[in-house]
Amino acid sequence: MLSVKNLCKEFKSGEHKVLAVNNLNMEVPDGIFASIIGRSGSGKSTLLSMLGALDKPTSGEIIVDNTDIAKMGDRKLIKYRRDKIGFVFQSYNLVPNLTAIENVMLPMEFAGMNKNAQESRASKLLKSVGLTEDKYLRRPKRLSGGEQQRVAIARALANKPKLILADEPTGNLDSSTGSIIIKLLKNLAKSEGTTIIAVTHDIGIANQAEKTFTLKDGKLTN
Amino acid sequence: MGVFHRGVRNAFRNTVRSASVIFILALSICMALIMFMSLKTVQTKIDSVKSSIGNIVTVSPAGIRGFEGGGQLLTSENVKTVSEINNVTKVVSVLNDRVNNGTDTNLQSAIEAGNFGNRQGNRQFRTNDSSNTAINNSITQRTFTPPIQIVATSDLSNTASLNVAQFEITSGTLFDVNTSDNVALVGKDLATKNSLNVDSTFQAYSKDIKVVGIYDTGNAFTNSSLVVPLVTLQNLSDQSGLISEMVVQTSSIDSVGSVANDIKTALGNSADVVSQQDNSNSAIAPLQNIKTISLYGLIGSLVAGSIIILLTIVMIVRERRQEIGVLKAIGASNALVITQFSVESLVLTLTSSVLGILLGIVLSNPILNVLVNNSTSSTTPSGPGGGGGREFARLGAGIINGSTNSIRNLHNVIGIDIILYGLLAAIAIALIGSAIPSYMIAKVRPAEVLRSE
Repeated sequence: MLSVKNLCKEFKSGEHKVLAVNNLNMEVPDGIFASIIGRSGSGKSTLLSMLGALDKPTSGEIIVDNTDIAKMGDRKLIKYRRDKIGFVFQSYNLVPNLTAIENVMLPMEFAGMNKNAQESRASKLLKSVGLTEDKYLRRPKRLSGGEQQRVAIARALANKPKLILADEPTGNLDSSTGSIIIKLLKNLAKSEGTTIIAVTHDIGIANQAEKTFTLKDGKLTN
Repeated sequence: MGVFHRGVRNAFRNTVRSASVIFILALSICMALIMFMSLKTVQTKIDSVKSSIGNIVTVSPAGIRGFEGGGQLLTSENVKTVSEINNVTKVVSVLNDRVNNGTDTNLQSAIEAGNFGNRQGNRQFRTNDSSNTAINNSITQRTFTPPIQIVATSDLSNTASLNVAQFEITSGTLFDVNTSDNVALVGKDLATKNSLNVDSTFQAYSKDIKVVGIYDTGNAFTNSSLVVPLVTLQNLSDQSGLISEMVVQTSSIDSVGSVANDIKTALGNSADVVSQQDNSNSAIAPLQNIKTISLYGLIGSLVAGSIIILLTIVMIVRERRQEIGVLKAIGASNALVITQFSVESLVLTLTSSVLGILLGIVLSNPILNVLVNNSTSSTTPSGPGGGGGREFARLGAGIINGSTNSIRNLHNVIGIDIILYGLLAAIAIALIGSAIPSYMIAKVRPAEVLRSE
């Protein structure tokens, strides 16, 4: 269970203060596919970055596995991101001079896994996201958008995270590829027992989620 | 793939940029290496010139050169005064005299007068009898017998005080320098000429002198001389407490100049002081020019290299800010990302240093030659300083001429130490060049990966 209590995030804009996330409370059960929708500037990405320990909240609690990550020090946050979280980004964010399989191996290398185990798991993950074997050694620029996002999903799953955070995962894809990717994420959530939270503008995707949170001006409206 | 492998691969991610950076950095490392080699070569030469001059100051009575001129000999009080000057480590007292066959001694000189000796001898004879020009003009050429030189020193191990380069006892033993006994060491040519052996005696100053040893200096003039204890010669020649020369040893070559000045101040007009400091400065001046240019060149090249790699890595970090954010978002620590970029910087500088060392090997001597030619043509060494003893004047002139000629023949020698220094410089440049980018990397927050979406 992911639990967020009284979460606030304040930014300074010149002399003004902007409350991007305003006293937000939410709970996400384990192993579901959830979505967060809202207009631009509603605080979706800010919320996602705090859930993924990419940014620290101004106040409030984020409880994952009975631990408040808002109170963690920098070292523990690195470990949390590495072991508990997987990220899928809109523009894939693969490392351009690494091959597909090397990109998937990267989080496992950070976790200290040996090279053979890394290769074996990376191959298995790439196969499970539907990338054909002849593309394992291709660099990102020689893969299509859909293929790059598959690699990104495989990378997000590398260290068997509790939570996958997807920021507009279909934003750069055509609608048919987008629906394939969403289907893939939903299936993985079931098979790996991973909670998936996807930020999206797309109502169609939101409708496929088991739980949807709507954000407006940093507050949940549902 | 580990962090090092990634760093190495990233270094050549943009081939054109990497090649350009490597080439420019290689030139900078090449220049640094050449300047370092030149600095080292020139310093070795300076040390060599200084050591060839030695840390000796010679003090003679004012107006006296050998057996020419006139004035008062130095006293034991003068020796005491000089001994107390700062940086003076030793003062060797020397007294010279000469005896003539027939009037002063029964010894015959081993040196034939020859044309030179006869000319000098007759000139002196005419000079001495100048009161009667009529007689003087009617004199026919006389046969001149060179006198026998006698040297007394307070330190037989100090070859400078004996005015020889080597002093080897071929038979017998040395005497105690503090004795007042009538004993002598005889040069091997003089011993042969007079059939002298160890324990033989000869006459001088109307006394019997016992031969305790025969020596060889490898020099015809000094092999026809006598060496006796200082007190003995002072007693025999009625010059008690007087000396004709002090050979002063200083604590280092660098203190020779200051000691010479202090002696001049302490003894005033009563002594002529000769050091090789001025000659040394003239000989070393062009080398000092090259050394200064090399030092500035070395610093400039290292700074330029550091700036090149610094700007390159800063540019790379700025370009890959998002990638750094991604790495941090998926679990890389600051240290790991910094290590990856440092490896990248190190690979660029090490590749550059290999190229730089190769260029340095090819270009070092031509560039050193340019430096030498420019420096020696702009610095003309002065002649030997006036007032010095004949031997030292000759030595000084030799040093200057020899040094100026040998400066033009300076050669950089590239040894394994130079290559190691080159690689160390590369690592230093890489570390300096990575310092600011590392700080920039540490400041990149993983949340930026979402902001840039």
